Amino acid sequence: MNSLIPLMVIVPILCALFLNLLHKKDRTIKIIAIILALILPALPILANYGLHYFGGYVPLIENPTLGTDLPSLITGTALNTFHPAITYSFQSAQKIFVFILGLVGLLAVFTSLFETRRPSGVYGYMMFMGIAAITAVLLTDDIFNLYVFFEIAALATVGIVLVSNIKGNYETALKYMILGGIAAPMLLLGVALLLGVTGNVNITDIIYSLKNGLVNPQSPVLLMACGLIVFGWLYGSGLPPFHTIKSAVYSKALPSGAALVQAFSVFTFIALGVIILRIFSYLPFSQWVILGVSLLAMILGITMAILQTDLRRMIGFLAVGELGYIGIGLGLGTVSGITAGLFQAVNEAVITAFLFIGFGTVLYQTGISDTRKLGGMMVRNPKVALLVLLAGFAMAGVPPLNAFQSKLMLIQASINAGLPELGVIMILLSIVTFMTFMKAFHAVFLRPKPADLEIKNENIPKATIIAMLVFLVVCIVFGLFPQVVTSYLQPLATSLGGVV
Amino acid sequence: MIEYLFMLTAILGAVLALMQRDLLKSAILTGITGASIAILYQYLLAPDVALTQAIVGAAIIPVFFALAVYKTRRMEE
Amino acid sequence: MIIDTQLASLFTAVALIIIGIFAAAFLDNLIKKVIGLAFIGDGVNLFIVSMGYKAGGIVYIYLPGMAADWFSQNASYPLPFAMVLTSIVIGASTMAVMLGIIIVLYKKHGSLKASEILGD
Repeated sequence: MNSLIPLMVIVPILCALFLNLLHKKDRTIKIIAIILALILPALPILANYGLHYFGGYVPLIENPTLGTDLPSLITGTALNTFHPAITYSFQSAQKIFVFILGLVGLLAVFTSLFETRRPSGVYGYMMFMGIAAITAVLLTDDIFNLYVFFEIAALATVGIVLVSNIKGNYETALKYMILGGIAAPMLLLGVALLLGVTGNVNITDIIYSLKNGLVNPQSPVLLMACGLIVFGWLYGSGLPPFHTIKSAVYSKALPSGAALVQAFSVFTFIALGVIILRIFSYLPFSQWVILGVSLLAMILGITMAILQTDLRRMIGFLAVGELGYIGIGLGLGTVSGITAGLFQAVNEAVITAFLFIGFGTVLYQTGISDTRKLGGMMVRNPKVALLVLLAGFAMAGVPPLNAFQSKLMLIQASINAGLPELGVIMILLSIVTFMTFMKAFHAVFLRPKPADLEIKNENIPKATIIAMLVFLVVCIVFGLFPQVVTSYLQPLATSLGGVV
Repeated sequence: MIEYLFMLTAILGAVLALMQRDLLKSAILTGITGASIAILYQYLLAPDVALTQAIVGAAIIPVFFALAVYKTRRMEE
Repeated sequence: MIIDTQLASLFTAVALIIIGIFAAAFLDNLIKKVIGLAFIGDGVNLFIVSMGYKAGGIVYIYLPGMAADWFSQNASYPLPFAMVLTSIVIGASTMAVMLGIIIVLYKKHGSLKASEILGD
């Protein structure tokens, strides 16, 4: 059913507004939020592929009755095929992305409801609003609509940071907003320049205009638009120079919030990255810009993660560093490279959420995130420790788990594309990632317990364990049967890879 | 011809707002920039945008700033 | 005049953006930083509106009795204007959230200096 496509955005917005109304009614919020969150991953599975035109304004070519008495100035030219409405495009790649986003959202909402003593409607509101915004960013084919939801996602991120009562969260949120106050208008300016050159905000139509010589693709204004949109992309996904602030944002949110916010970054990265590839791939250096930025993100993110002593900050930097792998896949520009990059994005969203929630149990029990003061948690909860260890294995790319498959595909793609150096760097950084993770794992779980460490909450909620088990099952299924995911991603990768 | 004058006041208002030490004056001067831009929109053939900008840019945002100044401190240290 | 209205307003927009970026980057007072961000937003909006402008044109409202050809050649382009309406409101709400955070931070630190509050 095509009418389910707009519902993917409308349902979470309605959930958000509804939860906010039920402020202070704890039990009701809990039950309703879980039921509504269950709908999120179900919607993309049920929906059929297709385009949705808001307001029902189909292109003239599909509605000949409307075009009969219009002058040939309109019906005889490209105007006939242009999209007058805001268009949402739901294809196989979007299906898997929205499903994974819904799944991470569901589990994040689920854990947050049982970990916080008083579930607050405001926190739920922010989470659902963010999910709605990122779903729209993934689905939309209209670059201005993308900007609007990009801003809403940034505000929801700020909201998620503000509701956690972690020291320094207001400062980080303000810093993030000030940077966003510069970066988001720059993205809008890029959109505006594209509009000024092509007269359109629909991405398909912009590409049509560029390909068919309606506008000069070599125009310097387009070059500038590309630069500005790339700047917005760097901010939205937390690539350098924004990696420090983005990892700080992760570390100042509650574990469930951080799990969700990193999924927002991953999917913003994918959505904007795909748009940049679709529109600007004819520029010879666009590929090298994406590769360079991704490489920088990988190296900076992972090396800075080693230096951290704060647990949350460490995973935050690892999450930023892992984004680089996706970018390398996209930047290679070959079909296999892009498939591997998109697959890595799906895995990354799952694994990092898994890690955040896993280490979140330690924070839940002790309230301390400084690795120097922690230790001996293995004795208390061997099951949780095992799950966290598996999450770390998944992130580093140990065989039966999912990131192994995507990293292997990435390395093969980089060798096939004639850049084996990238493969070597990726393997080295994987080892460093694993080392960083093991350092944190040793400090938290294996080392003998320091004498002054207090355990505040004895029992970890069952919901958290269930959420981690679901993540583990997803990791194993994707790791054993990677073609389940890649078959969904192949069409998008083929359409992009043919372009470069 | 008069639109050039409003362009000038928009930029002057912005510069002056940032030069004040009294933050309440800054807040009011942002209103001048907002209002000049609203009038410019009218000259640029966008009356609906001009209406919105006149309300948001010339009234709501300066009031927001003034409220923030009132809740914090008036003089820049 | 040497330059036409459209070019002049584009230059005004660029000037506002540059003033705003300067303020957001170099001024130490948090409220002034936010004022700078408001100017960046205003500048970008003005930039978009001036792209839709048509010298010597008419407002894009189709009145009865206008010839369709004449209208399509003389009206300004309304799509950017519709975008700016949304963008103005987004800018205002972002500003409100930032000012709210600043008030909370002032209560905590007793200062509005960015170097003190956002320093470490």
